Amino acid sequence: MVNNYRNENVKLVLLTSILKNKIYFMRKIGCFCVMLMLSLNALFAQTKEVTGKVTDSKDGAPLVGVTVIAKNENATAITGSDGTFKLKVNSKTSSLVFSSVGYKSTEAKIVNGNVMVALTLGVDQLAEVIVTGFGSRIKRDLTGSIAKVGAKELNNTPSANFESAIQGRAAGVLVTQQNGKLGQGISLRIRGSASVTAGNEPLYVIDGIPLQNADLSSNGATTNSLTDINTNDIESIEILKDASAAAIYGSRASNGVVLITTKKGKAGKSKIEFGYFTGTQKPTGKRDFMNAQEYVEYERLAAAAAFRLDPSFDYVAFNERRLKRYSAANDDYKTYKVNTNWQDLAFQHAPIAQYDLNFSGGSDKTTFYMGGQYLDQTGIVVANSLKRYSARLNLEHKVRDWLSLGMNMSFARTINKRVSNDNAFSTPLQIVALSPITPATDPRTGLTSGALDIGTGNPNTNYPVYYNPILSVQNAQYTTIVNRTIGNLFANVSIAKGLTFRSELGMDQLNQNEERYSGRLTARNEGVPNGSGRNTSDQILNINTNNFLRYVTSAGDDHDFDVVAGSSFQKWQIISNVANAEEFPSDSYKKLNAGASKTNASSGGSDWALLSYFARANYKFKNKYILSLSGRYDGSSRFGDKNKFGFFPAASAAWIISDENFLNNIRWINFLKLKASYGLTGNSEIGNYASIGLYGPNAYGGLGGQTPIQLPNPNLKWEATTSSDIGLEFSVFNKRVTIEVDYYTRLTKDLLLSVNIPSTTGYLNKLQNIGKLENKGIEFTINTDNVVTKHFRWATSLNFAANRNKITSLGGQQIGTLNRAQEGEPLGVFYAKEFAGADRANGDALFVKNTIKADGTKDRSTTNNVNEATDVKIGDPNPDFIYGVRNTFTFKGFDLDVLLQGVYGNDIFNGGGQYMSASGSNGYDNQTRDQLNSWKKAGDITMVPEARLFLANGTDNSSRYISSGSYLRVKAVTLGYNLSQKLISRFKIDRVRIYVRAQNLFTITKYKGWDPEVNSDATASNISLGNDFYSAPQIKTIVFGFNIGL
Amino acid sequence: MKNKIWSISLLSISLVMFSCTKELNRKPYNNINQDNALKTSSDIEGLLVGAYSDLGADDLYGGGSSVTADLLGDYNEIAWSGTYQGMTQIKNKAIAVDNGFTQGTWTDGYKTINDVNNVLDALAVVTEAKREKVEGEAKFIRAAVYFNLVRLFAKAWNDGDPAANEGVPINLTPTKELGGTADQLPRAKVSAVYAQVIKDLTEAEALLPSSNGFFATSNAAAGMLARVYLQKGDYANARDAANRVIESGNFKLTQPNIDGIIGIFAYTRAKAEDNTTEDVFAIQVTTTSGINNLQTFYSENGRGDISIRDEHLALFEPGDLRVNLINADFYSAKFDNVYGNLHTIRLAEMYLIRAEANFRLDASVGATPEEDINTIRKRAGLPSLSEVSLSDILKERKIELSFEGFNLHDIKRLGVSTGYFTGGGGLAYNAPELIFPIPKRDILVNPNLTQNAGY
Repeated sequence: MVNNYRNENVKLVLLTSILKNKIYFMRKIGCFCVMLMLSLNALFAQTKEVTGKVTDSKDGAPLVGVTVIAKNENATAITGSDGTFKLKVNSKTSSLVFSSVGYKSTEAKIVNGNVMVALTLGVDQLAEVIVTGFGSRIKRDLTGSIAKVGAKELNNTPSANFESAIQGRAAGVLVTQQNGKLGQGISLRIRGSASVTAGNEPLYVIDGIPLQNADLSSNGATTNSLTDINTNDIESIEILKDASAAAIYGSRASNGVVLITTKKGKAGKSKIEFGYFTGTQKPTGKRDFMNAQEYVEYERLAAAAAFRLDPSFDYVAFNERRLKRYSAANDDYKTYKVNTNWQDLAFQHAPIAQYDLNFSGGSDKTTFYMGGQYLDQTGIVVANSLKRYSARLNLEHKVRDWLSLGMNMSFARTINKRVSNDNAFSTPLQIVALSPITPATDPRTGLTSGALDIGTGNPNTNYPVYYNPILSVQNAQYTTIVNRTIGNLFANVSIAKGLTFRSELGMDQLNQNEERYSGRLTARNEGVPNGSGRNTSDQILNINTNNFLRYVTSAGDDHDFDVVAGSSFQKWQIISNVANAEEFPSDSYKKLNAGASKTNASSGGSDWALLSYFARANYKFKNKYILSLSGRYDGSSRFGDKNKFGFFPAASAAWIISDENFLNNIRWINFLKLKASYGLTGNSEIGNYASIGLYGPNAYGGLGGQTPIQLPNPNLKWEATTSSDIGLEFSVFNKRVTIEVDYYTRLTKDLLLSVNIPSTTGYLNKLQNIGKLENKGIEFTINTDNVVTKHFRWATSLNFAANRNKITSLGGQQIGTLNRAQEGEPLGVFYAKEFAGADRANGDALFVKNTIKADGTKDRSTTNNVNEATDVKIGDPNPDFIYGVRNTFTFKGFDLDVLLQGVYGNDIFNGGGQYMSASGSNGYDNQTRDQLNSWKKAGDITMVPEARLFLANGTDNSSRYISSGSYLRVKAVTLGYNLSQKLISRFKIDRVRIYVRAQNLFTITKYKGWDPEVNSDATASNISLGNDFYSAPQIKTIVFGFNIGL
Repeated sequence: MKNKIWSISLLSISLVMFSCTKELNRKPYNNINQDNALKTSSDIEGLLVGAYSDLGADDLYGGGSSVTADLLGDYNEIAWSGTYQGMTQIKNKAIAVDNGFTQGTWTDGYKTINDVNNVLDALAVVTEAKREKVEGEAKFIRAAVYFNLVRLFAKAWNDGDPAANEGVPINLTPTKELGGTADQLPRAKVSAVYAQVIKDLTEAEALLPSSNGFFATSNAAAGMLARVYLQKGDYANARDAANRVIESGNFKLTQPNIDGIIGIFAYTRAKAEDNTTEDVFAIQVTTTSGINNLQTFYSENGRGDISIRDEHLALFEPGDLRVNLINADFYSAKFDNVYGNLHTIRLAEMYLIRAEANFRLDASVGATPEEDINTIRKRAGLPSLSEVSLSDILKERKIELSFEGFNLHDIKRLGVSTGYFTGGGGLAYNAPELIFPIPKRDILVNPNLTQNAGY
């Protein structure tokens, strides 16, 4: 090897050239690989034996399972239980390289046939192993764009969903939790949305098995089936962002791929780890509503104004009758004696606790990781909670020199007590509509307001003003239980030198039962007087098999090859049952057996299958020119006979410029890499059987009937995204500053679009391959070591991403009304009237006409007739940019980790505005306090039109209800302390860490609603983004916890 | 050994994969391929049952288009306090072109029409013994939908020249794939739509048996025909059709129960019910299928969005039992059963049509106007009138059929303002606000569709 590298890079370059791509084996099948190499080693002549010992630099303890590699040859060994090793190497070999997960790779010289080395904790970023689909590479050699979030960041996140732990930590990944209800939908967008009608969520793969992510909720609000995964079992999450990284997943890679790798055991002393945290949760924000006095005065004002405008009806007298009704038919409202803060009643004391117990360890033949967890989380909104029991066993055993077998298996049982979707009177936050003059307990009955109308003996039908959601808390239950098994069996076979075969058989099985009972007192909400029950059960079986060959070889010093080729087959099936019953003898009976009237009984199912062939070749020349080619040929059952299969190729290249001679003299540059990729990925996330013309059941009067429901489209084919990415990675100032910059474009064509067709055909739409959209953006990540001293370390990691989404063609379509998919605009833009405040003269709501005049200009005059104004773009739910800043400080035993996360430039539409901020002109809903500033007399200048009882004044969708959704959040703060070794070692304890952690601690935003991270679960879709509709705020959590390692 | 492993693994991959290719042909579980849907007579009869279900869709004869017509035609008899913006727009006579309720009436309508067009297209498959009945029912359904559409989305018959005014597109062929005739249809003229409706109903009346369970009968077709003729002011044909229904002897007015509630509207508890003797045609609702949207919007058991104002109450004479159908909280109690059938055509309407038409023609076919009006009054507990005027007849009709979707259409055919029955005022019968907009979604995808004036 010609040693023309600069000193700083020598170590790295040597290391990587020797490691080639075998790191993959070290993680997945390390033991086996080593044995193989040892056997091959016998082929070499002129060898010498080297012995040595590896220790931990911190405490001098022997390190077990460290991989020892002789430079530039295939000799490898693993340290035994005492940290020692023995290795035969070429007699010319002068040093060895030591590596172990979690430790920095270290090279040491052989002195008289002996090497003593101490490894230090930490990872050299460039040598970090990145899991890719069907393999892995060190970060230095990556040609694609992959973000990694490791166990350290993920561990002990006080949330049931691992997605929350990713938020703000990976450039270009926008995580939006719909609301603060537990176990509910979370959207994850990698580099923007690539589809209008088909799915926009990434493909999730856990230990090689594509996860099923179907929503099985039966209440209109999606649930998140990834809740069944214990975040503390995860070793790393790799997010494949560009085509070259993701194309190996071909047809389903357009939205990116999230690879989840779970923890493995390590040879050496077995570890026992116990973790616990407990804490409390609160809403991140509240809205400001009127109190009793403000409400009464405001309604009177509204009634007087309505009477003035419409003398045909005595609004004033009517209003007093109504206020009295809502004041439990007494005169307390006149003195504002009752002043109920209903909003507070929607929230509850919300403790959270989590218990973890893990065992891990192994020998040179077998490794294991066993983890168990119990999570007990109470929701911030009433009646909401989540409990999860989970267990995992990851096991790997070397059966023969050439064969190793293993399995990763997890079980989870999640019990989620749920509440209604946002668009239901019974959802907790709709309680804010109730009048502050209404007492929580009806003085006439001593019962919850709304429970009993003394006159009829039934629940009240018109008191309070709406159904009281507390009645559902007290008299209804809604429980979703999921049992989930995710397992993978695998075998690695060594066929010849460098050639291995891996076979995986994976299963993701999900059984869900949803059970709901709504008692008699919920009649006003359910419309059913004597109790109603519902039971749904779903079984999903998702089977996947991957079979692939991998060949790793070198030709001379300059050529390295890593080739993977194989096939996979996946089949997904769901079988569902649902039954409803009414007429229960009493609320003590809650099962459907007691319901005398069975109002629904149904079963059904669905399936799809995917057959794939894939290949990838990585080639590295002189260790600095890297080329990667991949392709996947996918066949999906969802497409028409003519277009079942699609081919998805990708190419990428990287050039490690810092290894060129001409950069030798620039000492401050430690590493510089230029990379580029180009490729095609697909999207098939549409309904099953979408290409077939369908008839469906349609019963009438107790007789079975059928009607046409879908037009055929045998030409239906893959939605295709062409992505290109150009990126630069560099590291300067002694690697103290590392920067990664990417520019990408993603052009999607042949959109799988639900196209509106003339309804005179009898159909509303047809799924067709029409339209194009694009995402373009930049991303950068900057990691800096700001202060590095012996006792104090301060590091910063900043990520930033700006994505521009634009629909370039929809074949002339416009989809949606408020949120739209429209040509020339980003997906989901808000269209409505432009609101112009109150008419100074008379208090009418004014709208800017915005119609096009004869001369082609816009008519900017205003009108009080909403129909004279035309809809214009009033906002965009897509952020201009998203960012995260993480600062970590360590000082002696203390560590502090502060993550800020932000979203900038997006808008939120308050869909509840037409009720809660409506100038009191849309019924008796309590109003937000800002409505007090309504127009009162001629000359008033205000954006709040005159209050007019029932005479809708500016309640139509308009920019009145748009506001900025930008926010900067202190997402996570962890302060931890590791007890000193001296103190705990006498109790035979290895590690004790105590910590306090806060999630969503503090939010800076101009948004006046509950929380700016919102998308109503009642309407959320690809297009319907950024809507707030009585959505529960996000959760602010503070926990105290500890971890003990034995 | 290595070679063996090599070959075994390759072999196993290829075996697995070859067997998987046919796994890509998945068949739907819950639905069926349209190629297999219309093979037998019972398949077509099943499609016809499905068409009835679509006819009863929420925005169609499931009550929705009746609620919207009442709200649009109202001046000051009812108060709307609901939170559906779309309904609020209709009550305020300021309908947006993307109003979901008016759009639903249109799209549900054409879906139903496509259903029955498929039935009529496949008549040859139907067993001969049932063919006429199936054809008659399909034509009845098609006419019922077109009549609903032309009344709501086009100018009234008596508003200008119906042969020149734009009606709604007429599609008489099933859609099997896109690119067919139904793709870009223009609006047919109002008179052409009425002609199609009358043709279908006339044929249906001839084809249908007089007894057919709760499905359409020759009487149902005649009843609908009476309504259509009345709407276009063809009183002789209207009267004759209504007379055929009454004279058939198949129907009988229901009587008030012990609480003074007229039988057809009596409610004890939420449960599915059979048609009453008064039902000429009713949309069926059961606990598992169908929807009663009148209950949804009018009933205090439902959303209770529409309450009744004093101006309406003032129309009642003392002693009128029908006041009992307005409850203590001023909600209509006609539709309190959430699983109650929708009484689309009932015998009382036939008496009222015959009375009005006879009166206008100065005739007494079947009975005198006085006799028919007194039949209705007697049931309502009111004394007989010795002589009736047109306004007596119209007022009787108003009260008897209140909240059953007649308000708007009567105002239009009578050429009066929306406040006519409560002392005047309101919008003129031909005000453009009283016509639904053609749905924006269709305007956008069909350049041949013209929008109504005012939108």
